[in-house]
Amino acid sequence: MKPELRRILFSLAVLLWAAGLLYFHGSGRIVKYLAPDFRSIALLGGLGLAVMGLFNLLTAFQKADCGHNHGEEDDHEGGELNPLVTLLMMTLPLAMSIAWTKDEFSQATLARKGLYDDGAAADASLFTSDLPPLTIAEIEKGHRKTADGYLEFGLIELFFATGDRELQGLLGGLKIETEGRIVAEKENNEKGTRRRLYRMFMTCCVADSRAIPIVLEFGKEPPLLPENGWVKVAGTMTFPKRDGIVQAVLEVDRATAAEVPAEENFLRR
Amino acid sequence: MNADARQDFAFAFLSILFEGAPFILVGTLISGFIDVYLPAGTMDRFLPKNRNLAVMVAGLLGAVFPVCECAVVPVIRRLVGKGLPMSCALTYMLAAPIVNPITALSTWKAFQGQAPWMMTGGRLLLGYLVAVGVGLVVARIPLRKVLRKSLADRIEAEGRGGHADHDHDHDGCCGHDHAHHPADHAPADDGRLVAAMRSAMRDFVDVGVYFTIGVAITALFNTGIAPGAEWLDGLAGNPVAAPAALMALAFILSLCSTSDAFIAATLAKFTWGAKLAFLVFGPMLDVKLLFLYQTVMRRRFILGLGVALFVVIWGAAIVAQAWLMNVR
Repeated sequence: MKPELRRILFSLAVLLWAAGLLYFHGSGRIVKYLAPDFRSIALLGGLGLAVMGLFNLLTAFQKADCGHNHGEEDDHEGGELNPLVTLLMMTLPLAMSIAWTKDEFSQATLARKGLYDDGAAADASLFTSDLPPLTIAEIEKGHRKTADGYLEFGLIELFFATGDRELQGLLGGLKIETEGRIVAEKENNEKGTRRRLYRMFMTCCVADSRAIPIVLEFGKEPPLLPENGWVKVAGTMTFPKRDGIVQAVLEVDRATAAEVPAEENFLRR
Repeated sequence: MNADARQDFAFAFLSILFEGAPFILVGTLISGFIDVYLPAGTMDRFLPKNRNLAVMVAGLLGAVFPVCECAVVPVIRRLVGKGLPMSCALTYMLAAPIVNPITALSTWKAFQGQAPWMMTGGRLLLGYLVAVGVGLVVARIPLRKVLRKSLADRIEAEGRGGHADHDHDHDGCCGHDHAHHPADHAPADDGRLVAAMRSAMRDFVDVGVYFTIGVAITALFNTGIAPGAEWLDGLAGNPVAAPAALMALAFILSLCSTSDAFIAATLAKFTWGAKLAFLVFGPMLDVKLLFLYQTVMRRRFILGLGVALFVVIWGAAIVAQAWLMNVR
């Protein structure tokens, strides 16, 4: 293959990667894929790739003298694979993934990522910095109160309280409001009065994310809410044990559909 | 693959790709400019005359001349051909993809929230120690048992013998063969910039192909689509089996050292020691390196090197994990 054609094909591969990064950043969809500090790195990467691809495309026919006499071994740009194969291998999976993605995981993968796991004792030590202070006064000081008297809590605080007895004692019986996505409860739900509320917790990218769930107990048939939709729920927090594992269960007083928050995932700060 | 599986694969695939691509870009830009602008003799001049000391210093050269494992093999091939001692070249080849600022930065960034300093420090330290250990052993092995016959013949014919003689004969400008014409050293800055960008692009697409394959396989495992994902998960908490499993995975994935940490960080169920083994073994030996190494070394030596690397890194990862558990 002629070097000029090879350069054009390589440039196209680089430009398509750049386009992917810049498109997801420009459209705002990147927030579903990467944690905030990686988003700006991805933007810089996309811009850098665009510069590299355009530079090489525009100079594809230019002779480049690097100041060396080359043997036959290396001309600085001969790749290991056929350039056409390289282009296809770099761009096909990207294009197919862009076509396939719905910017979220299916229920099966959510289950694999902990949607139906209860109890956080094993991991609680990793998240101590996210836990609230340990007196009721400080808890009330650190959380806003709704008009009808419920304290606003992040779901992650309720979930990781299952690994902290002291916190369970403080939060148990407290009137709280939280938000997340609502899905069916699969186990221990013979009467059909329970649902599950979750949000994802992401460290760097969504591949390393895990579900943070609690159980919602309605005490009657739950109201009709869109499956996997965003809801705000308010009620009384309890921490019963099931099969020796502490569960976070919210006895729901009210549940309403909610706006999708600007940042859907919990992030490590 | 059903619609749900496609959706899951695509979501995980894109997130890892978007996360790692900028770091590959930085790495390949640097390697491209080194390829064109850096004279080969520069590295030789950094090394002390004492053989053991030279090996130890060679293990740190990646901090000054950062290259990933794909770029380092062609570089050392030229350096060995020009008389750089094989022990130093091999040490540099094994250490440089790990002991370099880009890999350190990407490892630290990828492990945010997962003890990043410990993982970065552990990776650099173990990578350096293993590479220097291999270099010190290779320094005591006859050249012909290490190098390909054609390369060894050429070195012996030119009377270098692979020792640290440091007799710079002005034939090494940037790792290319020169004909000793004045024009070889004539400045050609415009052309060099274009050549450097082309070299960087070549490196990017070479690495990009393997990275794409690696990300695809990782996404399949991450979302439970790949056959054996459950089995692999079953080994995750086992302090002895987990490092071996992830080293095998690193061998198959053939990831670039500048971006492999982003994959390792997603393997949440695995022990810290297993991830360390993944991050040290992968840049030293994987499927693509197996092919690249054959351009420099004898097959029998590569086999021995592979077994030794596997056993040593496996053992070190088990010990490191046990130490970590005791500390905690």
